[in-house]
Amino acid sequence: MNGPLVRIRFDGNGRVYRPGETLSGEYRIESVAPDEIKAVEVSVLWYTEGKGDEDLAVHSFWRVSAENGDRSDPPRPGRFSTVLPRSPLSYRGILVRIRWCVRVRVFLTRGREVMGELAFRLGDVPAARAAGNGHREAPSEKATLA
Amino acid sequence: MARNFRIVPKKRGNRSTGSKWWGRVIEASLSAAALAVGCVGLVIVLNRVVVPEWRTNHQFVEHRCTVLDARLGEQKTEDGTLCRPEIRIQYTVDGQKYVVWTYSKSWQYSSNRAVEQAILERYPLGPEYVCWYDPADPSVAVLVRGYSLWFWLTLAMPASFILIGGGGLLHVVMTWGKSAERRAAQAQRGSPLDLLDAERAGAGFPCVPAPASVTNSPGTTLSYRLPVVAASGWKLFAAMVACLGWNGIVALFACVAISGFLEGRPDWVLTLCVIPFAGVGVAIIVYAFRYLLLASAVGPTLVEVSEQPLYPGKRCEAFVSQTGRMRVNSLDVLLVCDEDATFHQGTNTRRESLRVVEQAVYHRVEFDLRHGVPFEARFPVEIPAGTMHSFKSDHNEIRWKILVKGEIAGRPSFVRSFPVIVCPAANGSNGKVNGQAS
Repeated sequence: MNGPLVRIRFDGNGRVYRPGETLSGEYRIESVAPDEIKAVEVSVLWYTEGKGDEDLAVHSFWRVSAENGDRSDPPRPGRFSTVLPRSPLSYRGILVRIRWCVRVRVFLTRGREVMGELAFRLGDVPAARAAGNGHREAPSEKATLA
Repeated sequence: MARNFRIVPKKRGNRSTGSKWWGRVIEASLSAAALAVGCVGLVIVLNRVVVPEWRTNHQFVEHRCTVLDARLGEQKTEDGTLCRPEIRIQYTVDGQKYVVWTYSKSWQYSSNRAVEQAILERYPLGPEYVCWYDPADPSVAVLVRGYSLWFWLTLAMPASFILIGGGGLLHVVMTWGKSAERRAAQAQRGSPLDLLDAERAGAGFPCVPAPASVTNSPGTTLSYRLPVVAASGWKLFAAMVACLGWNGIVALFACVAISGFLEGRPDWVLTLCVIPFAGVGVAIIVYAFRYLLLASAVGPTLVEVSEQPLYPGKRCEAFVSQTGRMRVNSLDVLLVCDEDATFHQGTNTRRESLRVVEQAVYHRVEFDLRHGVPFEARFPVEIPAGTMHSFKSDHNEIRWKILVKGEIAGRPSFVRSFPVIVCPAANGSNGKVNGQAS
């Protein structure tokens, strides 16, 4: 038997969206019994990747929790829909990358957790390249205490 | 076994291989331990220092006493002999006569013998003095009241442990069992400052710095005068402070070394140590002098733009004014975009920057700047289509700026930086429509 799995799908199977456009889709939790699910969290978020420490911001967040009397029915898909913001746009830089995604996190009994994630692009900014002379400032030390 | 088990896990981002659960448990344990140490320390400090001093000042009863004797009590330590004033007083409470050695409640030993001796001289034998005795135990009395520095210092130590431990424990409790997304969503909801920043942005672009920072100064030729990122005056001041500070210290050691030579007792170790530091001092003097030359010749640089914020693929007008008295070999105005990343490496916080756009927007060679006659130029600036907008988060930033670079005859070159804000195009295409700039 396969382990718990989360599948996410966007309506129209779109992957590139414009600011202000509506992002909608559904998620399905597989191989999990209904009474095993304690909570489900659906987030539309962006996070940074690259040289710097990760920054993360949630644009939309929904939580369905058994404690609040909400009941998840795994065989039936859950839906999400949100109007996307005007920024930040998806970006593939050299030191800084900004990625948008829909993340579904399922909290199961006995502290288990399963997560599914589907990336999409907001805007269509092309990947960046280092400028002509490759100007790069050496790392500078800012503080000695973390 | 496919791969070895890591004893020391990687720490950063998604590459983290440590157990988050164990991390939280350890964080909670350390916080709880700090809180416990703070609480125990606070109880001890309250019991030993704070409450006795407070009682002395508020509950002890004023009375009269006679000084019978006075001496300097001594205590021998590794650092020498410490002393404190000890005064023998006599007083009567409810018909009961008490004779005690006392002075104050804190009654600390000190290495300053002269000060302690001066205290004794204030209490000649014979006359009556004011004293305060403890109504709960009349055999305890003092000649002076007041709060000592120890009172506050001893409170600060357990208080800092309680703050660190309590804060850490509260953070663990508040975030226990919550996903990173839920914590981020709650933090964003509970942060009016972010909402305020978004409002200030005017155009409502999250994570794009508010243009207010670069539009609050109107220009004289165009609409907005841009702020300069780092004023050369501050750099000159910092260079001078570094020059004086470093060379002042080196000069002290150099004097000691030279006097040794003059007295015929040269200290070669000191001399050899001072030489490299003196070399660095000379380099700092040269650097500061070059900066002084530059600052005295190059006047302020003004940059104004016709629009703020700017948009990819859109054009605006810019104006540069440069004052000074010098021969300029070349003056370049560049539009640049830098990626900045801040990251933790061990216990240090580091910052790295990389240029992803550099576009020359103005170039002029071989001209003279005369006193009172500024050089002025107007020229168009176009943000390249298909480039990223300004962006700022806690550890990552994309900064657009206009750089003014000057090469001056016989002097070091100068660079001045002026930030501009670039917002994304409304349709997210960043200035491109069907692959063409709009």
